Amino acid sequence: MNRFYYRLILFAMFGLAAAGCTSQQQNVIRIGAAGPMTGDQSKMGIDLRNAAELAVAEWNEKGGVLGKKIELLAGDDQADPKQAVSVANKFINQKVAAVVGHWNSSCSIPASEYYVNANVVMISPATTNPRFTQQGFKSVFRVCGTDDQQGKIAADFVVKKMRPKRVAVIHDKTAYGQGLADFFKKSLGPGIEIVFYDGIVQRDPDYKGVLTAIKEKRPEVYFFGGIYPEAGRLVRQAREIGLTAPMITGDGVYDPTFIKIAGAAAEGTLVTFGKDPGGLSTAKAFLGKYAAKYGEAGPYSIYAYDAANIILTAIQQAGTTDGTKVAEYISKTSFRGAFGDISFDKNGDVNKAPYVVWKVKDGKFIEVQ
Amino acid sequence: MFIQQLINGLALGAIYALIALGYTMVYGILQLINFAHGEVYMLGAYLAIIVMGLLTSPGAPEIGMAAKLIITLILSAGFCAAYGAVIERTAYRPLRKAAKLAPLISAVGMSIILQNFVMLAQGKEYKNLPPVVPSDGIALFGATVSPLQILILAVSLLVMGGLQLFVVRTKLGKAMRATSQDRIMAGLVGINVNQVISVTFMIGSSLAAVAGVLVTLYYGVVHFFMGYLAGLKAFTAAVLGGIGSIPGAMVGGVLLGLIENFGASYISGVYKDAFAFLVLIITLIARPSGLFGQKTIDKV
Repeated sequence: MNRFYYRLILFAMFGLAAAGCTSQQQNVIRIGAAGPMTGDQSKMGIDLRNAAELAVAEWNEKGGVLGKKIELLAGDDQADPKQAVSVANKFINQKVAAVVGHWNSSCSIPASEYYVNANVVMISPATTNPRFTQQGFKSVFRVCGTDDQQGKIAADFVVKKMRPKRVAVIHDKTAYGQGLADFFKKSLGPGIEIVFYDGIVQRDPDYKGVLTAIKEKRPEVYFFGGIYPEAGRLVRQAREIGLTAPMITGDGVYDPTFIKIAGAAAEGTLVTFGKDPGGLSTAKAFLGKYAAKYGEAGPYSIYAYDAANIILTAIQQAGTTDGTKVAEYISKTSFRGAFGDISFDKNGDVNKAPYVVWKVKDGKFIEVQ
Repeated sequence: MFIQQLINGLALGAIYALIALGYTMVYGILQLINFAHGEVYMLGAYLAIIVMGLLTSPGAPEIGMAAKLIITLILSAGFCAAYGAVIERTAYRPLRKAAKLAPLISAVGMSIILQNFVMLAQGKEYKNLPPVVPSDGIALFGATVSPLQILILAVSLLVMGGLQLFVVRTKLGKAMRATSQDRIMAGLVGINVNQVISVTFMIGSSLAAVAGVLVTLYYGVVHFFMGYLAGLKAFTAAVLGGIGSIPGAMVGGVLLGLIENFGASYISGVYKDAFAFLVLIITLIARPSGLFGQKTIDKV
């Protein structure tokens, strides 16, 4: 080819690329969605991303925010704190205005520091470790409850309904799992003996060693602080070795995948989670739209949807993508979410976070309280 | 509790032993540590989930649980045997006369290729198999044994007994032992060395596939990365028993399973993986040739 034409094409390509960059930066507002999208907790991250995507698509249909289209960027943190920080840095480099995420407490807490330094608003739909909002950051929020609340609900349920003398406690050594297990333990009160307390290795296929040690201590119920893949293997193997005490656990286990892994062994497992949103008309509308596009919604999809809507409403109302102003608007306003009214306290926690106890019955989660 | 832990440890150890046999047999003949072996185990587990999934899906023919298990085991073992032969043919045979390090690096490469292949073909998500065998334990000597643990022990014993008979009694087994003693001499007396090596890989791979199927039924979870840690632990078991020795791999695997289980319950579940590698380090320091290994004299 003629050398001149070759150069011309090269220049044209660079020119186009450059033009593409600038026009994108001016006319698009970017929102990040972060969570575990690969690995054993991948369903949670994908549920979160889909819900945020749905919210963004609805806003774009109405013309976007501040007259600009919204672009959703997905970041996979693999439920790994190190990856979470790298996702945060990537988002910051891509100039996101705000982030819906992350999912795991052990990811949200380290990532939050980076978002705050870059003046990026962060709303987590699922991070329940109390420390997340107690770091003194003004632009960090969550739309779910906290582990001291749900640890207390679980402990109250155990004390009042089951009246055990001996309780075992295990956790997966993560910020979420260990934190929740400790809150549960603290809330049990006197008169109940903690006969066993230990951590387990996440992603290990075999927990029979620990379970046999628990069985030996004859607890009437055992608490697990952790996520559904481990919980599923635990109850399945507990049944195999003849440990009949039921498991009580937290929101991280509230997912149909738990029942799929454990099969019949899941029956009778108790889980603390938010109230069933099915009764609310706004929630019904969301669940219908979600199902039409992605299939059945996950437990945290509706939280992620509300988080994304709060962010976009705040940007629209504040008239800017400046993190400080958006955060200020969010902290002062009461929002109408699909899950009901949401307003935040001075830390960035929701004002009302009703946890209830659910029980696995006939392969489904049923509200028992 | 002791008996319970003993049974748990034996079941886990039987799985390690099945994988370790593949390492040790290949090492015995080629002095090569086949790092792709853990991946073959992973392939076996994936096949179990695919075949079991098909057999238990609504439209499948009505056959008994035992028939389903046997079909899964045979299909998975056969498929992985083919994989083993192909891996040997493509990654190791062309390097047979190369420097000793070359096939080792080729093995690591093969392992990465297989892992990524499965990741791309099957996805990065964990795949779950709901329990197909009833998981209620049976009371026995004050302990509770699950039907799966009995199945694992029975299948492993059967397979290992068969292997021992094959190696000691058959002509091919004899050829295998001769090749492991001296490859060149074996060739000179008329043994088809390449064929013996292929068969060794096929047997080792089908044993790993059996382990993969059993693990899938036992735990119900597979993912593309599972061969890595299992492979390392089985390798530890082979070293503990004395790499190159078939009875050594069996004993080493069972011992490792017991150590892990007793460690996890009597010391702490947090350090479960650490026990396996502590064993590796202690073996390498105190008895580098392993429990059943012979001191090798460098041939001149």
